[in-house]
This record gives sequence, structure tokens and C-alpha cells, in this order.
Amino acid sequence: MHLQNAEDIIIAKDVDKIYPNGCHALKKVSASIKKGEVVVIIGPSGSGKSTFLRTLNQLETISSGSIVIDQVDMYGKNTNINKLREHVGMVFQSFNLFPHKSALHNVMMAPLKVSKRAKSEVEEHARALMKKVGLAERMNNYPSQLSGGQQQRVAIARALCMKPKIMLFDEPTSALDPEMVGEVLDVMKSLAKEGMTMVVVTHEMGFAREVADRVLFMEDGELLVEDTPDKFFHNPTHPRLQRFLSQVL
Amino acid sequence: MQKQPNQMLWQGVYLAVVIIFCSVVYASSKHINYNWNWQRVVPYLINTEPQSVRAPFDGTAKVSTDDKTLTLVPDAGGEPVVVKKFSAISVNDGDLIFEGDQVATISNWRIGPITEGMITTLEISLASLVFAVIIGLFIGLGRISRNLAIRQLCITYIEIIRGTPLLVQIFIFYFFIGTVLSLDRFTAGVASLAVFTAAYVAEIVRSGIQSIPPGQMEAARSLGMTYVQAMVNVILPQAFKRTLPPMAGQFINLIKDSSLVSVISITDLTKAGREVVSATFAPFEVWFTVALLYLVMTGALSWMIQHLEKKLAASD
Repeated sequence: MHLQNAEDIIIAKDVDKIYPNGCHALKKVSASIKKGEVVVIIGPSGSGKSTFLRTLNQLETISSGSIVIDQVDMYGKNTNINKLREHVGMVFQSFNLFPHKSALHNVMMAPLKVSKRAKSEVEEHARALMKKVGLAERMNNYPSQLSGGQQQRVAIARALCMKPKIMLFDEPTSALDPEMVGEVLDVMKSLAKEGMTMVVVTHEMGFAREVADRVLFMEDGELLVEDTPDKFFHNPTHPRLQRFLSQVL
Repeated sequence: MQKQPNQMLWQGVYLAVVIIFCSVVYASSKHINYNWNWQRVVPYLINTEPQSVRAPFDGTAKVSTDDKTLTLVPDAGGEPVVVKKFSAISVNDGDLIFEGDQVATISNWRIGPITEGMITTLEISLASLVFAVIIGLFIGLGRISRNLAIRQLCITYIEIIRGTPLLVQIFIFYFFIGTVLSLDRFTAGVASLAVFTAAYVAEIVRSGIQSIPPGQMEAARSLGMTYVQAMVNVILPQAFKRTLPPMAGQFINLIKDSSLVSVISITDLTKAGREVVSATFAPFEVWFTVALLYLVMTGALSWMIQHLEKKLAASD
């Protein structure tokens, strides 16, 4: 039984997900994440880690259990999921930038259309974010004119422009050429330093070790281990985790 | 190194084939003793013949001193008629005139029946295109709706419309729906063409939307957009670009299909052509002219859409 802590910004309880084809993707996953915490989820492919992440902004619905984001029950009767998603930014493996808009307009679109903020304020904010992710020079380029690493940084800026309380990262560096991984991780690290609550699904063990406050290990839809990076990597007790780490490290 | 094909040679072959084809057409018309007379078609396109102005009543003609205004004063009393801008005058000042007399001629250009038919074709095509896009967009969206009733209704619509001939639909629209709702010819024609084309537009819209990677919708939704906002701001603008080439084909079909509305007595380009043939006895010239005019309309549309495609390709 998890204690309901006021500091917990994400509380997932007994989350179960069964696809219509019978695939049992998540089995009673429970996790709480505190405000400002950086949580990294690792595990072999098909372990349900991306599915779990996607349930946190309801890109995947759950079969049973409950998810509470910032005191709001995601499946409550009066919950407006669009309102909730405004505060939960998401970064995808395949960037998913809008190809028909320039980088700057990718960043500005949601604040203008969804939050109805003033254009001048949004543009100023978007320009500042583009500068922050190191792309002040490429603001007017279309996504197709940017490298993978640059596209992913635009995607991060796009999510940040909604002023989210939580950022979800779904394997943000998996589709990148190796030499571009660093630039994206650097942006994520600076974000972590600023105190952003982050949930990161990744295969970058280095990032997990360096930045994470906590590391979660999932396999076959189950959350097996939840530990500090130090204990997780240097003193793993779970036999399945030991095997996994011996293969990836 | 790969051998480069001789461009000049094949360009020459192309021209030769075209020239041979045209001479075969010409030779075969000679063979049946057909006398080409393109002159006869011209007045049906643009009529440059001076028109005669005829007196509408019995009365007296009054010509102003500078020969620039002709006033016809009726015997029976009432408003006199003033004629200006004539090219020639056939009465003198003070002449008695009788109803139907030619009093002057005016030389101005008038469009002939073929051109009028072409304008009607353009009007019908344009009106039905606008409605077809609007209906097609909603049917296409409904076709991929998660609501079973909406989805099945849209599928039924598409299947019925695509499975029956347009000619039959035009008759049904004119004789049944047109009678029930008392529609005039033009409205019935536009409605049947719009409904017909919309079924195809719907399928183009559906395939366009489904060709956009699902990640686009997910990204838009993850930013807090509603389904409608995501569609309007993210999915449809991208789908629009991808559907332009098939849409162009469909719109060209629409222009050509509009020739079928002549069966409900709308004087479009095709019907005008038929009428002119019976007046001139120059079927070859008239039908070639009509074909050329259709080609001009479809070609212009095709060019405009290509132009738009190039403009939208900026982000590729």
C-alpha cells in the first residue's frame, strides 16, 4: 500500500493493461514519483516500459488500476484529459515534429491553439526555449532540414513551451545517430538540474547512472526493481536484473 | 559508363508520330469528302456581326444634329427610346418608322452559344467542386470515425454512390429529389455532381489522413490538443498536401462528368455543341472545338494544382 504523499506528483496504483488481442502488457504496476524527481525506467524491449510511460498521459488507456497526476485522478468522471495533458509534456522516440511547420512554429502551435496565450508572449517564450536547446540559428528551418538530434531538441522545446509540470521521455535517443545522442542528453540533463519532474524510458545507462534519482526495472509487464542508481547498478539483488545488467553493461 | 539515350532522336520520333497521327485524321476526312470549314464555328464562339436595332413601336425617328443620338418617339404617346453608340444609322431625321423596322446597327462583340455553354459548364463544375469538397471532407472524416453508426452511414453512402452510374443519379436527382424539393435544373445538376464526386473525395481524404503517421496525432494530443484541434492544425494540412494529386484527377473528372447534365436540358458545353452542330452541319469542327475547350479547362485546373503543389513543397 502506497502512502499518499502530497509531494507525489504521479501516483500509479495497480495499473493493468490488457490489449484486445489478449496481450498482457502491464501487470499491477504501482509507482509514485515525487515532484522534481528524475525517474529512469529501463528493461528489455517488450517489457512494457514504454506502455507504462504512455499510460501516464493516456496515450494508452488502462484496463484497471488508477493513475493520479498532480492530485487529479486521470480516470475521474470530471477529468478533462486534454487539460491534464497540457501539463504533461511528452518527447517521442521518432520526434513527431509537425513537418508542415517551421521549428519555431512547431514550438508555438500548442500554446497558441490550446492555451490561447498571447502571440507575442508565446513567440518570446518559444525563441527563448529554442535558444536554450541550442537552436537559435535554426528556428525558421523546417523539420526535414534538421538533423535527428536537432529535431529531438525542437521536440523538447515544443513540449516545454506548454510549461509542463512533468516531462515524459519515450526512448528519446534510440532513433538517433550515435554522435547526436550527447546533444539531446545534455538538454535533458540541464532540464533535470532545473528541477523538472522527469520520467525517462531509455537504454542510456550512463544517463540513468548520472542523472536519475531512482531507476525502475521492468520486465514482462511487471515492475521488478525500484532503487537508487547507485544500488541499482553496483549492487543489484534481483537475479533478473543481474542478468540484464551483465548483458548491457 | 551507361549509354545516354539520344534525346534529340526520341524528341524527333515523338513529333513524327504526332504529325503522322494528325495527317491520318486529315486524310481520312478527305477520304469521306468532308469539307473542313472552321469559319462556320467562329460566330458560335464569338459573334462579331453587327446587330440591328429594330423599332419597338410605330413612331417617328429623330436624329440629333451631331448624328450621335437617335430618338424614337412613339405615335401612341409614352416614353421615347434613345439609341446611342450605333455604328450605322439606317433612317433619316423625321422618318416615319414602323414596329420591327431596322433603324440602326450596333457593332459589339457578343459571346456565342458555345462560349455560353462553356461558362455554364464552368459554373456547374465550380459549384459542385466546392460542395463536393465540403461533403467529401466530412464523409471522409466520418469514414474513420470511432462511432460505429457514423462510420457505417458513411460507408453506405460511399458504396451506394460509387456503385451506381452518374447518369442514373442525375435522373434520380432531377426527377425524384428535384420534384420532391422542387429544385431547378441547375441545382439538381450541381447537387448530383457534388454528391457523386464527394464519394470519391471522401475516399481520397480518408487515405490521405491514414497516410499520416499515427505519431503526428499522438504528438498533437500529448500537447493537450483536442481531436478536432489536432485534425485541423496537424493532420489535415499534411493530408491536404498528399491528396492534391489524386484530387486533381478527381476534379478533372468532375469537369468532364459535368457533360452528363445535358440530359436534364442544361445547356452546358456539350449540349451547346449538339445544338450548334444541328445549326451549322459542321460536326467535326464543332466537336473538335468542344473537345479543345474541355481540354483548356482541365488543363488550366491541372496547371493550377501543380502550381499549388510546388508551393506547398517548401517544407519537404
